[in-house]
Amino acid sequence: MGASQRRPCLTAKLYWEAELTFKHLLIGALLASTIATPAMAQANTDITVVLSEELDLVEPCMATRSNIGRVILQNISETLTELDVRGDKGLMPRLADSWEDKGDGTWQFKLHSGVKFSDGTTFDAADVKHSFDRVFSDQLTCESKRYFADTTLTFTVVDDLTIDVKAEPAQPVLPLLMSLVTMVPSETPMEFVRDPIGTGPYVMTEWTAGQQIVLDRRADYWGAQPEVTKATYLFRSEPAVRAGMVAAGEADIAPQITAEVADNKATDFTYLNSETVYLRVDGQDAPTSDIRIRQALNAAIDREAFIGTVLPAGTELAVAMVPPTTLGWNPDLTPPAYDPELAKKLIAEAKADGVDVSLPIEVVARTENFPNVTEVSEALVQMFNEVGFTATLHMVEVAEHEQYYSKPYPESTGTRLVLAQHDNSRGDPVFSMFFKYDSKGTQSGVNDPKVDEMIAAASAATGDERAALWSELFKYVHDDIVADVLLFHMVGLSRVGERLDFTPTIATNQQLQLAEIGFK
Amino acid sequence: MTKLISQRVIASLLSLLGLLILVFFLSRLTGDPAVLFLPIDATEEMKTQFRALHGLDLPILEQFGRYVWDFVHLDFGESLRKARPAIDVVLEAYAWTLPLAGITMGLVVVAAIVLGSLAAFNVGGFFDRLVSIVSLIGASAPDFWIAIVAIVVFAINLSWLPTSGVGTPWHWVLPIAVLFIRPFGLIVQVVRGSMLTALSAQYVKTARAKGVKNLPIIFVHTLRNAMLPVITVIGDQAAAMLNGAVIVETIFGFPGIGKLMIDSILQRDFNVVLAAIMVTALAIFIMNILIDLAYGLLDPRIRN
Amino acid sequence: MTDVTLVAKPVSQGKSGFSALLSMLWRDKLAFVSAVILVLIILCAVLGPALLGDMANSQNLRGRNSPPFDLARGWAFVLGGDSLGRPMLARLVVAARSTIMVASGAVLVSLAIGATLGLVAGYMGKNISQVIMRLADVIMSFPSLLIAVVVLYVLGPSIPNMILVLAITRIPIYLRTTRAEVLEVRERMFVQAAVVMGAGHWRIIARHILPVVAPTLVTIATLDFAFVMLAESSLSFLGIGIQPPDITWGLMVAQGRPYLTTAWWLALWPGLFIVITTLALNLLSNWMRIALDPTQRWRLEARSTKDE
Repeated sequence: MGASQRRPCLTAKLYWEAELTFKHLLIGALLASTIATPAMAQANTDITVVLSEELDLVEPCMATRSNIGRVILQNISETLTELDVRGDKGLMPRLADSWEDKGDGTWQFKLHSGVKFSDGTTFDAADVKHSFDRVFSDQLTCESKRYFADTTLTFTVVDDLTIDVKAEPAQPVLPLLMSLVTMVPSETPMEFVRDPIGTGPYVMTEWTAGQQIVLDRRADYWGAQPEVTKATYLFRSEPAVRAGMVAAGEADIAPQITAEVADNKATDFTYLNSETVYLRVDGQDAPTSDIRIRQALNAAIDREAFIGTVLPAGTELAVAMVPPTTLGWNPDLTPPAYDPELAKKLIAEAKADGVDVSLPIEVVARTENFPNVTEVSEALVQMFNEVGFTATLHMVEVAEHEQYYSKPYPESTGTRLVLAQHDNSRGDPVFSMFFKYDSKGTQSGVNDPKVDEMIAAASAATGDERAALWSELFKYVHDDIVADVLLFHMVGLSRVGERLDFTPTIATNQQLQLAEIGFK
Repeated sequence: MTKLISQRVIASLLSLLGLLILVFFLSRLTGDPAVLFLPIDATEEMKTQFRALHGLDLPILEQFGRYVWDFVHLDFGESLRKARPAIDVVLEAYAWTLPLAGITMGLVVVAAIVLGSLAAFNVGGFFDRLVSIVSLIGASAPDFWIAIVAIVVFAINLSWLPTSGVGTPWHWVLPIAVLFIRPFGLIVQVVRGSMLTALSAQYVKTARAKGVKNLPIIFVHTLRNAMLPVITVIGDQAAAMLNGAVIVETIFGFPGIGKLMIDSILQRDFNVVLAAIMVTALAIFIMNILIDLAYGLLDPRIRN
Repeated sequence: MTDVTLVAKPVSQGKSGFSALLSMLWRDKLAFVSAVILVLIILCAVLGPALLGDMANSQNLRGRNSPPFDLARGWAFVLGGDSLGRPMLARLVVAARSTIMVASGAVLVSLAIGATLGLVAGYMGKNISQVIMRLADVIMSFPSLLIAVVVLYVLGPSIPNMILVLAITRIPIYLRTTRAEVLEVRERMFVQAAVVMGAGHWRIIARHILPVVAPTLVTIATLDFAFVMLAESSLSFLGIGIQPPDITWGLMVAQGRPYLTTAWWLALWPGLFIVITTLALNLLSNWMRIALDPTQRWRLEARSTKDE
């Protein structure tokens, strides 16, 4: 206003009027937003969740894809069993009350009685069979099929509430695998559906593509009634916007925000999110075929320096491909110490033995893989170069990354280290170890018959023996053959509005059970 | 005139076909959608099955033949990701982008022509410099920066407007405001520039020398002559907006064509990309025909 | 690079014309400052990587995001440190080269191709014109995002490829502008007269048409400089643009985005450099547009006498 005082009277008046109208507009906006807000995030038991990724599909058999699972898993569609991620109860009953190993690869599941789908039909053994028929159908490409890659399942309906599942070869973790397959009614067609029918406590009442999905609580749910009556899902890809929406009262939960925007201790939760970041090393390629080079790569990295800087505080150093909550996790392993002198010495030794240590090393990383992936990659490359490697960085987008990450690997003059993030929140290493370490694994850089044997033995074992075998494998891969450069168990950050009583868990990446949300 | 337009329509259809061929083959150079649709640990069998289900395993020329056959029957195929007809997905998004682009461009054109001409009349003066500098800053400031700062300031700190999304008219204020800035900056400069040239034309000087002050007549005549490049630049900016305001839509969670386009391109959802480009192209071709007609109206000598 | 040619242009008018122009530039302070800034930026682009390249790449994870205006860590950190603890100032200077290369490369290539095709389309027969214009329609409808993904996927991300992507997308604007102006100029009396007097095509184009079309093209080209720098930034934002270890101001802005609320200097300085470059370029070109136009020059001369 200082400048306008010197203006001629008329102009000043015009400015003043303009400012008045502007103020009116603002007041209008203010009123509108206060009116609009309650419609979005009510003071009652309706909540709004703002997710990072929109859903392409709401198909139950795709529920293991994280963006779909966060909305429908255990909310709309339920599974026979469920993994306890809050306590240490292990595998818990959900739609199945109990299960029993009948021997010879056959498991018998007793189903809960009186369960109704949201279309009113009763859940029975035939529905279980149909749900699996859909998974294996060649009319649609269900994600959950991959968990049964080399297994043939035969279903025998014993009675309405009892079903026998025979796996060939025998599958010791079949009950655990049951926590990954959602149940649909036998009427469900063999194509992707747009109106998922499930047994869960919620039913989808609205899906406006690109805008929102609304779940309403069912009155006739078979289990305990959850507190949340209605959940509206919105989709915003920008973390600052998601966090801001909770701060502004437009949303109640914003999963997957970044450390940079998580500036409120009262609402922002940090938790291990079951992702492990590592550099996949191709052990068949020069110069990384020499174990000393692989050890040098490990010793060159100052892992601690990343934590609390480019990665959020709470990030843990990884000693295995799976997070610490997984069966058989080996507490005796220690991450390689940062020792640039050791790294230089190892390189010199390898060189003396005729290894061409001057071969270029290309670090391949994926844009948007996790927050600050570019910074992490740039720092890794610099650390490699500091000990004498010839490392460069190659940032690629997702489709191209896939080409480097999965077999067959493209040719290279030196070698490529693929920076990747692997997710295993399923509780058992079987979902990781074959793919990442078996000589036939699609992302494996290892070709070691002993590893193949150990994976096969552990996958077939049960109970304590299984845990011990996995433990042994972790040690062998980490200490004896130094298969790769394991880096970090990542943390996720979520902002939860203050009126909610909810703590995110390691599974929040994969599923967000509305039933676990309470109000203060 | 009718003959001219019908010729033009036929030529445009031919270029639509050219565009279709170009996009179809170029997009298929960018990788396999199966590996992006399926999880990383999917088996080879699942990938083969996905390709077979969507006809991606056929020889590329056969795929193209089938696509063209369906296309002439107005069938744009299914979205690989969404299991819905691609054209439905695209039209839904367009229903959001068209009003956003229309309102923004309308505001931009009016503001840019008025302020740009005023600046040209007052060349070198305070108002001219102010308009130039403000518009140039606007034209050169990164839009995602402006968008995020605008959200933080107006939605989060001041709580005047909703952060993002659609629903009430208030949701449109920030996206339109952010989207307005860059084309406004560009067009205002072009208006100013061509007005300057037009003002120095002989007849304007004569009129001024005769003592006619900056009257509406001069304004209108000069403007008319200055409009040729202006319209071209407006067309260019409008085309960019019809292609979708990718950044603004992404940040504000606005369900328009730009967000759909980038998602589909990154996920290799070829049918949606093709359908989106075909619809956009149609809109741009129509716009270009209108622009060329406008040239003729502004300057009858160009008409033939 | 555009700047060089722009500044170089008057030289052809002879030594005295050049010094007259210089003194005219000195009198318009805003234009003078713009010229100085552009010279500085070009110096940065030429010398920066050689002088400061190592400093710009030396990381220090534990000293990241150090705030600006703190000289404790040396002059290089006067604008703060980035998310890997590298000095912002050094990085900005080094990034000038690739930024200017990408922007001027894309603008010059699209200007040259677009203007040539536009001249041909406007001047030659209807059939050629029709073909060229429909080609422009096709390019205009082809989303730059898809061009970027195709080029980057097939050819890999690099500065020349980025120039290619941006140049392709900017061709139609020059093409359509040139053609529209040519159509109009062609009908003017003096051109018609030249045709009647039997002047050759190239002579008419060079003598009569180009001088009229050029000012508009220069205005658009200087504006496009900003447009191209920002388009490159947006592509980086979307993850399909230039990627580290290459650096441009656009990439720096995109990388600073997550820190907008915690470390504003990461995105602000490179953004400011883009704004300043654009401002300088456009103010200078606006001035030049008047200074080089005999029918307009009186404005500058008149005003400068008034000023003094």
